[in-house]
Order: sequence, then structure tokens, then C-alpha cells
Amino acid sequence: MGKVVGIDLGTTNSLVAYVRDGVPHVIRDASGDALVPSVVSLGEDGTFFVGREAQRRLLTAPSRSVYSVKRFMGRGIDDVRDEAALLPFNVGGQPGGVVRIGLDDREFTPPEISAFVLRELKQRAEDDFREQGEFDFEVDRAVITVPAYFNDAQRTATRDAGRLAGLEVLRIVNEPTAASLAYGLDQRDRGIIAVYDLGGGTFDISILKVEDGVFQVLATNGDTHLGGDDIDRLLVELVLAEIGPGGSKEQHANGGSKEQDPPYVSQPGIVGRVLLSRPAEEIQAIRKAVIEAKLDLTEAEEAEIRVETLAYRRPITRAEFEQLIRPLVERTIQPVRQALADAGLEPSEVDEAVLVGGSTRVPLVRRLVSELFGRTPHSELNPDEVVALGAAVQADILISGRREMLLLDVTPLSLGIETMGGVVSKIILRNSTIPASGREMFTTGVDNQTSVDIHVLQGERELADDCRSLARFKLRGIPPMPAGLPRIEVRFQIDANGILSVAASELRTNIAQTIEVKPSYGLTDQEVERMLIESFEHAQADVDARLLIEARNEAESVIHATEKSLRRPNFAEIAAVDLQAGEQERIEAALDAVKQAMAGSDRDAIRERTHALNHATQHLAEVMMNRGVREALAGKNVKDV
Amino acid sequence: MAPDPIPARPFPTLECRNCGAGAPVDEHFCPQCSRILALGRHGDYFSFLGVPRRLTIDPAQLERRFRDLSRQFHPDYFYNASPSERLASLERSSYLNDAYRALRNPISRIEHLLAIEGLPPAKSEGSSAGSGQTAAKVPAGLLEEVFELNEQLDEIRESRESGTDAAVLRDRLDSARKPIDLKREEHERKVELLSAQWDQQLDAGDAAAKRATLEALRERLLERNYINNLLATIDREAANLEARADSSVRL
Repeated sequence: MGKVVGIDLGTTNSLVAYVRDGVPHVIRDASGDALVPSVVSLGEDGTFFVGREAQRRLLTAPSRSVYSVKRFMGRGIDDVRDEAALLPFNVGGQPGGVVRIGLDDREFTPPEISAFVLRELKQRAEDDFREQGEFDFEVDRAVITVPAYFNDAQRTATRDAGRLAGLEVLRIVNEPTAASLAYGLDQRDRGIIAVYDLGGGTFDISILKVEDGVFQVLATNGDTHLGGDDIDRLLVELVLAEIGPGGSKEQHANGGSKEQDPPYVSQPGIVGRVLLSRPAEEIQAIRKAVIEAKLDLTEAEEAEIRVETLAYRRPITRAEFEQLIRPLVERTIQPVRQALADAGLEPSEVDEAVLVGGSTRVPLVRRLVSELFGRTPHSELNPDEVVALGAAVQADILISGRREMLLLDVTPLSLGIETMGGVVSKIILRNSTIPASGREMFTTGVDNQTSVDIHVLQGERELADDCRSLARFKLRGIPPMPAGLPRIEVRFQIDANGILSVAASELRTNIAQTIEVKPSYGLTDQEVERMLIESFEHAQADVDARLLIEARNEAESVIHATEKSLRRPNFAEIAAVDLQAGEQERIEAALDAVKQAMAGSDRDAIRERTHALNHATQHLAEVMMNRGVREALAGKNVKDV
Repeated sequence: MAPDPIPARPFPTLECRNCGAGAPVDEHFCPQCSRILALGRHGDYFSFLGVPRRLTIDPAQLERRFRDLSRQFHPDYFYNASPSERLASLERSSYLNDAYRALRNPISRIEHLLAIEGLPPAKSEGSSAGSGQTAAKVPAGLLEEVFELNEQLDEIRESRESGTDAAVLRDRLDSARKPIDLKREEHERKVELLSAQWDQQLDAGDAAAKRATLEALRERLLERNYINNLLATIDREAANLEARADSSVRL
């Protein structure tokens, strides 16, 4: 068995942590950095960059670099069209299907992109274990965190990403709950805790009751599309509005050409293309500049947005910044109130408020949380790292069987099925402790009907159209009977990951029904399998590409060394004195052969001919070395005299 | 206080999938090999949680019981177990969560008691169809109030359409609500009395008296649904008034 880690797969950054001797540690790189930017970039030679390197490429190769992919997990193109318009990479997909991201001529689903980040984290952890001298350093299992308010499709997409990265996902844990575990390690007290988690792309509020080491979530709420990204976007829009379309500030002032909104051209079946009014490089440069200003405003009262490439500079005060983002931050108030109401608590009954997520560093956010709960929130643990630490603790609980602590989480959204007239009948209510189950009876409407269609939804609204479609099921193999006679019991089970499974049987005959699942915004098992195979194939292709590069480099250096010898001014003399007849011709032929092979991409040919050239020049190399030694000795002798 | 001991059943009804030993239906772990038992068809939340079938339950005690059992069943602790034990852990945890949710709330506790005592569910037929009280039969004790309220609501709706001041209508709505609120309070008292009565009979009552109490509780639940529907109707009307007030401000 390999090692087990906890992973915080974030919108902006991701981290990996593990427990050693009962204490969770975040794994850092050589420079002490724990954050791996959740950015994936496809290099021009077909290799992939992940993390910092990919983040740098956001500026130089924006259309080949994907960020914030978490926002697209388990979603359809119709859900994300608006925000996709501001992204410099291609986002598309078929209406009603999963989002697809185009990089060069290849297409990726969000789980595939996330898998690159997970593989990087896995690699980082394995390197760390190897450095510690662990014999068994392979990481094969992980606990991965998700926003508490993620729905079934988003959770399943996250689990798929883990599988694609070669990780068995032991558990999907909610981020605020994981954070509370990390806090609970130090403070073994009891009481009501509110975890306010504002990350790069998502907002969660969870209300927990802690007693006897049991961390019981009473209620959770949130917004899976609210976070630091949105703050950045407001600032980018501010800058874009000021510099105007397609030019500098001056051009805009002159009236210029007011461009229409960027057209969104969707090509069904292949990747849709988002056309931006400005080059992607500029958007990314602006984005980088506003993020720096935003970070500065955490401490400073005034900062400057500076985009060198556009000769754009603009001071921004904290007051101005807060005025701009206030509506966004205030969108967190309603979910907090709802969670408290669902938990049956008043804000004053909350004993501790805990801040999680990088965006809780924004002073306005801190003030708001203090006001909401009437107390200063906790932020002793690094808000970027606390979720990964909690994930590591949960992973340790799972494999060690330690029972001091137990997480009891809830399902964030009600689960229901569509009934007559498009009304949703709720089967498992939101904030039910998981695992949770529910059952519903169905029958047939027509004589001898052998199948029934069932539409499963998640959400709080009354009508199916207003809820999130999770899947459509077809119950097959119902024994032929008069209409209304079959009694088909469908059992819904939400497991400890918050993921749904369904089973059914006809009670009169006790025949189990086969269920055909068509996830509305997810991948089927077959698709995940296919992607796994493809990723292995691509992994092989990536290895091939790397080996070819290495062969080329080696050939280059041998060619260079040979040509250097051949070009020596006294080569004719050397050849005449030391080389055998025809030796020079053989060397030149071998050299040409390598150069020819270099024109192609046959790695074996390049290596063979490089080897042959090495062999052909072996004698020449010895001659050269002897001469060198003689010259050196001669020089020494002269000196010594 | 420790929960009352569970009376032993004459015949084992669960079979351990590990060692084949039989076990009473309310056991969670095999008496012989101590592995977690598959759930089977369990239907009684009280006996599952190991608490007496009372309607007055100390919430703190119930919560402790829930936490104790969670620590015994939770899938977190069966990660390395056999597939059948993992399934049993999942089923028992789910059932425990359902049981705790149902017994924690006094009303759903009564509903569950009625179900396991063999009474039909106290759901008014019209309530799930959304249209509310029109389909359901008016409980006898509410006839007068319902008549009065409907009359007043009709008047308020008419006045609203003819443009009467929203503040005036709000006052009228408040006074129409008062008798229903009083009924609701009276109802709560009756439910509490009946619940206490059931708890006493549980230890010393004869079957007929217990049955009568259950029937009375069921009547109360039907009444409760009805009162809640009436209050919801009043709230909807209040929301209509608010909406109109808002739009008039905007105009």
C-alpha cells in the first residue's frame, strides 16, 4: 500500500498535506512555497506545464493556459457562458453537455485539466517522501476537498479528476468542515463554530456543533460562483472600461470606434471560441496587475494598478476598492443568515467564527464577518493552508481507524425527483446528515409497461426547471402487469462523500431493476475509462517527446564537438600525421548521417547515428587528447626550464 | 440516565454475514463475532436508537445516543473492512441519521409513533397537491374560525383590488390572523397533554386507552396541517400586500 495525502484542490491554488506522527504538515517546495497554482498550460512542443511555470505562461501563452477550471467542474456550457467570455482560453461544448476546454487542437473536460494539477501534487508529495528516505513513497490514495455547496455533479467531477490522476479518492470532504478539523486539533473545546470560507471561486458557510470530538455540521449554505476571481474580474472590467476597446486611453478619449460586445461563436460539437475585444495577453497582464493591487490593499490604504505593457497606471484607494466590491461581499450575507436559520440558531449563539480561504484577507470581508457574528473571527491558521491540513487529518482518520474525531457532514441541497406537471417531490432534504437515504414508490401508467423514466434533481425550488438536473434514469425490466399494479421502490443513497447512488426493485416480484444512468452534466464511467486510457497514451507520448528532445540534445553536442575538431586550423596536418587513410571521410559520412536523422523525428535513428558518429570519432578524440596533453606538457617543460 | 434495556425478542431475526450467528433485530453488532450486522428491514426508530417509545425525550440524551452510535457505525471506521461490512456501516449510518432526524423533532416523532403503531399517516389529501385546504376536510374544531377567516380574506382581496391603503389592509390581516394564532397555541397545549398522556399509558395503560390516545394525536396532526395551511394563506396575502406597496413606491 502506498501513501495517503489530503489535497485542497482550489480554484486559484492547490495544496497537498499529510499526517506524520499525528501532526498534519503541508508539503512545500524547495523555496518553502506550499501553493501550487491551479494552472495548466500546453507547451508549443506538446508538453504540459503545471503550477508556477504554467502561471508564468498565462502572460506569454494565454490561449494555451487554463486557470480557474474548478468553476467549470460538473457544469454545462450554458451555465458558464457569461464568465467564459472574459477568459482567454477556449471554452465550449455541446448545449446540455459538459464544458470542454480547447488547447491547441486538443479538447479537455474540466476533470482532465484538474487531473494535471492533482498529478503535480502527487508528484510533489512523492518527491517529499523520497527525500525523507521513505522506501515506499508512492502516493496512491487521497482525500480531496470540495466546496460544501458543491452539488452531486461537481463532486463526481472532482472524484473523476482524482481517478484520472491515478489516485483512489478515499473521501470527498467539504472545505469548511476540513478546516474545522484542523482547528479542532488545537482547541478541543465544545460549542458552535461558524466557518466562513471565501476562496478564489467559491463561498461556503458551515455551522458546526463540536462535542466529544464529534464535528457535526448543523447547516451549510453558499455560492459556488463567488470568490476572489469575481473581485479580480470587477477590477479588470474597471481597467478595461477606462482604457476603452482596442487601444490606449487617448484613443478612447478621441471617441474612436466603439466595438460591439465580443461575439460568442459556439460551434456545436467542437470547442466554441470566445473572441475578446482585446488580445488575451493584455487581459492577462491587466489581471496580474489588479491582483497585485488587490493584495497590496490588504495592508495599505492606497495602491496602484500598473500595467507596464499598456502604459497604464492608476491609483486606487481602499475606500474605492471597497465600494467597488461591496455588492459582491454582501452576497455572502444571505447564505450566512439562511445557514443560521436552518441550524435554528441566532448569530449570538455562535461561539467561534473561523475564516478560511485567501479572500478572507480582504479587510472588508473581515469587518463584515465580525459584524455578522458580533465577534472577532479566528484566523490563527493560515487561511490558505487550513483546508489541506484538515483533509490530511481526515485521510489519517480513514486509514488509521483512529476514533477520537468524527466528522458528520450534511448534504447541502435537497434531492428530489420530477413528478407530474414538472413539480419536484423532495426525497432527501438539504442539511440532512450524510450518509442519508430516501425511498420513493413508483408504478406504471400503461398496461404492460416495462420501463419508467425518472428525472433526479437537486435544489430547493418547487419546479424541476428551476432545479439542477442531476441525472435521468430508466428503470427497465418491470414485469408486465396491468397499469398501476407494479410497486417499484427506488432507493436513493447519498454516501459520506455527498454523492448519490440509486437502486430499485419491484416489490411484488422482488425483481431488482436495472438502472441506466445518464448524468446531466457529468461523465459516464465509460468516458472516464476512455480518458484514463487516453491519458496513459498521452503520458507515453509525453515521455516520447521528452526522450526525442534528449536524443536531439545529445546529437547536437556530438555534432558540435566533431565540427569543432574538423574546423581546427591545423586539422589537415593532424589528419596527415595521426589519422588512418579514409578515417576523415568516414567521420564526415557519419556526421552527415546524424544531421540527416536530425531532420526527422525518429528518436532511435538519431541515437543510433549519434552512437555511430561517437564511434567514428573515438580515435580522433584520442589523437586530439594526446596532442593536447603533449602541448600542455611541452608548455610546462618550457616553463620549468 | 442510561436508556431502558431493550426487551429481548424470542427469535433472532438478523443473521451475521460473517459467522452466521443469529441476532435480535435491534442489535447492531454480532453477539458472537462482534462484526457490524446488515440492517435488514428495521422499522422502529425508537428501538433502533435504544430509547423507550416515549413522546417526551430529553434532547441532550437523544443527541448523546446519536453521537455514540455514529461513532460505532460511521463509514469512516470501516474503510478497511470487508465489502459487506462497509455496506452495513453505510446502511446503519443512514438509518441512524434518519432516525435521529425523525425523533429530534416532537411532531415528526409523533408521526413516526403513529406509523409504527399502525395508524394511517396524518397527511391531509390536498396538502401535497399544493392547493392546500380546499381539498382537505375541515377539522370539526376549526369550522367557525375557517369560515370567519375566509370571509375576511375575501374582503381584504376585494379591497386590495379596489386600491385601499396597504397599511389599513395589513391591520385587518393582523386581526384576521389573531384567532388562528390562538387556535395554534391551544393546539400546541393539546399536543403536549396528549403526549404526556401517552407516556403515562406506555407504562400502565390498557390497549384501548392507548389506542384512543393515538387516534386523538392523529386528529391533532390533521388539525395542525390545516392550521399551518391557514397561516400560510395569510402569509401569502401579506406578501401580496407588500409586493403592491413596493410597486406603488416605485411607480
